[in-house]
Amino acid sequence: MSKGLQDIARELLEKGEVQVVVGWGAVKADPDRTRPILVTDPDEVGELVWNPRCVNNLAVYLTKAKSDVQALGKAAIVAKGCDVKAITGLIQEMQFSRDDLVIIGVACKGVVSDGSLWQGELTEENRDLKCRFCDVRTPRTYDHLVGEEVPPVDAEDDWKDVRELEEKTPRERWDYWQEQFERCIRCYACRQACPFCYCTRCIADKTLPRWIESGQHPRANLAWNIIRAMHLAGRCVECGECERVCPVGIPLNLLNRELAKEVAVEYGYRAGYDSEAPPPFATYREEDDQSFIR
Amino acid sequence: MEHRTLAGDGLPALIDELIKKGMRVIAPTQRNGDLAFGQVSSSAEAVLDYFLCKRSAKEIVFPRTEAILGFDRSGGEVKVEPPSMQFPETVVVGARPCDAASLPILDHIFTWDCDDELFTRRREATTVIGLTCTTADNFCFCTSVGLSPDNTAGSDILLTQLEDGQFFVEVVTDKGEKLAAELGELFREGGDESARQKAGEKARALVTRSVDVSKAKGWLDDHFDDEMWESWMTCLGCGACTFVCPTCHCFDIVDEVQGLSGHRCKNWDACTFWHFTVHASGHNPRDVQYKRYRQRILHKFRYYKDRFGVTLCTGCGRCSRHCPVGIDIAEVLETAAGSAAS
Amino acid sequence: MSHIYMPHQMEITEIIDETPDTRTLKLVFKDEGVRESFSFKAGQFGLFSVYGAGECTFDICSSPTWKDHIECCFRKVGKVTSALWRLEQGDLVGFRGPYGNWFPVDEFKGKNIVFIAGGIAFPPIRGVLWNCVDLRDQFKDITIVYGARTVSDLVYKYELEEWEKRDDVSLVKTVDPGGETPDWDGKIGFVPTVLEQAAPSSENAVALVCGPPIMIKFTLPVLTKLGFSDDRIYSTLENRMKCGVGKCGRCNIADVYVCKEGPVFTAEQMKVLPPEY
Repeated sequence: MSKGLQDIARELLEKGEVQVVVGWGAVKADPDRTRPILVTDPDEVGELVWNPRCVNNLAVYLTKAKSDVQALGKAAIVAKGCDVKAITGLIQEMQFSRDDLVIIGVACKGVVSDGSLWQGELTEENRDLKCRFCDVRTPRTYDHLVGEEVPPVDAEDDWKDVRELEEKTPRERWDYWQEQFERCIRCYACRQACPFCYCTRCIADKTLPRWIESGQHPRANLAWNIIRAMHLAGRCVECGECERVCPVGIPLNLLNRELAKEVAVEYGYRAGYDSEAPPPFATYREEDDQSFIR
Repeated sequence: MEHRTLAGDGLPALIDELIKKGMRVIAPTQRNGDLAFGQVSSSAEAVLDYFLCKRSAKEIVFPRTEAILGFDRSGGEVKVEPPSMQFPETVVVGARPCDAASLPILDHIFTWDCDDELFTRRREATTVIGLTCTTADNFCFCTSVGLSPDNTAGSDILLTQLEDGQFFVEVVTDKGEKLAAELGELFREGGDESARQKAGEKARALVTRSVDVSKAKGWLDDHFDDEMWESWMTCLGCGACTFVCPTCHCFDIVDEVQGLSGHRCKNWDACTFWHFTVHASGHNPRDVQYKRYRQRILHKFRYYKDRFGVTLCTGCGRCSRHCPVGIDIAEVLETAAGSAAS
Repeated sequence: MSHIYMPHQMEITEIIDETPDTRTLKLVFKDEGVRESFSFKAGQFGLFSVYGAGECTFDICSSPTWKDHIECCFRKVGKVTSALWRLEQGDLVGFRGPYGNWFPVDEFKGKNIVFIAGGIAFPPIRGVLWNCVDLRDQFKDITIVYGARTVSDLVYKYELEEWEKRDDVSLVKTVDPGGETPDWDGKIGFVPTVLEQAAPSSENAVALVCGPPIMIKFTLPVLTKLGFSDDRIYSTLENRMKCGVGKCGRCNIADVYVCKEGPVFTAEQMKVLPPEY
């Protein structure tokens, strides 16, 4: 699988169609992990790998916030279907246009965040939660495809995780999130790993006024995590990177999915499927419900 | 100092005895699915059969956030109050040697030239009972920075479990001696030194990763500008590595207000954040991410060593384990050492 | 029991508007004991704070020879400076300091001194300048080259008039081309160019330079051309600081803590540092 990928990458670099391939490579010290690599030399394409341990959403390197990566030149990105959803969203938000990018799509049957659980076999137990209802196992758009097309999972998202949360009373939900956010150390790994957190100056870093205190206490932690979630509502493609990278294990994707469900129910919209679709929170219609404005 | 022995099932009793004596006991404890150092109210809450907490023990003496003063303008004129500097007698039970060792390393920065009393007072009030490692992974490289899984640095007392299950008790400091005296009944006089040595060897063999850190430093000394740094351009600029690190100590000072009163706080900060060095004019001396990552490496393995004679790293491997993009600090050092060789 | 981050309280006794967005505060310690015992040296800095907004690093821009008060000068750019801007006479300001090293004024005795400043960077020079002028007979020629983008960006205009009148100090003032007004009687040109034209002698002389990085960059070669060796050129580094006492890790350049070994450096010292300022 990695071989086909390497051949495509080599050709793209050799022909000068792109100057950099953003892909996954091995972590020498831990065979159970992979990591993002930037390949600029056709002779180094051998470092590219593709397997279910390739969890990083590499779309994060495509935004204007990563000016040093952009300075390398035109990029090709290796992307799973879920990563392509992020790319679609970024195109929709005019971070770049489709022509600026070569997508090397990978047909994917699921990924395993804890790579040690994958030893050649994907199972219901080791596969990430986000893969259970995947409808983009073959990316919706690509220029090259690695592997054979894979049909989508034959089941629709049942929002089970979100419904379990919703079954709690508001008080229980509040306590649950307070407990989760209490241990947030404000390292902003969630933000930095997120393709959609590309603001040049994040609201958390603004001081005039300081909207979110930088202290790591319940008040500030709640403010940070809620504001980030709200900012991602209708934009988040549920790639789960924020949750995966959180060093203290806060279930951030659950929070994002709660909002994604709201958007799905209220607006019939799910992010990451159509770069031409009007984003619900960036669209105004006269007949919009205004009853909440008092 | 005399060695002692603790019974194989003596750890819970030790914790409960300390609590009974009115001490604040901090131990690894599981809360909301997260293993972290926290105050325990009984031995049942402590998890001592563990590898490493995700976050280091540094926050016991250098909290994530702490008030350096309080202010109140509700009476018109501003009233300013320093915080209470009374810190409770604290015993940390079960810190791994790479956590314990961070404390004497941090002493350098917080006491050179002048003392940061917020740190030193907490430090004085804290006694550390270290626990020799029984597991390690490939990100561990303590033996490369002059430490080891059974090293006593930073521990006031080090416990090492012997083959027969009993703990060999090494009293390392006067503070440890004082505590050991108070726990007299739990600690039996005398200890099997040859069994301790054997257990130490076994622990040290757990760490298989070996990096020539002094060779790496030699290279770092004259390679501020080098292509190697740009190869870590994948660094996302989060602070996960610095915040889980036992020795990273950069902080910010900010005012936090609620209504008419508030606190001036000392909050953790990170050199990997883009805004860390940005001037009011917008000029940023470290304008791109790899320069910020370079600062973290150079501060740890070159600048701190030059300045204070010690490396700002205990080889715990947390930064590598938690890096969202798999940057492995030992690999960075291996690359540097490798370049020095060629 | 207190600690190193506790500020002293100071009262604002006078506010002087320098430019539309730059202001000088005259400050007096509330505590009589501190007022008596406080001393500092020219070039040292302090952390000035507004409770509720935070702390900000400024050079103490008054002269150590003035015993009754200290001064700071700031431009309204961020959170703390905006809060300082809102304060009135009689209000309280927190102060920690003095911190850092200083200009070695004692070593300047018997020498010619050239002061070069650009824009808002005049204040750090102004403290040491007054220090030298107050001890005028201990130094030889004193030359000041001061420039700003426009006439309205010049700070200490009232003092510039005084310098011009004095015959024991020579002042060259300039504004960038286009920044002049119809009644401007100074030079028009960038500081490095004007300095080169003024060509102060480097014999038995030291030069003190403060300004934006771009000005420093172009001024240093001019000074070299005029014969100033790097060990006789002094400047200050304006790295961002938080604690001021060598703990917080923000101002580091290699193993140098700018807040402790600086902010005053010779060009010779600066050239061996990595370019992180």
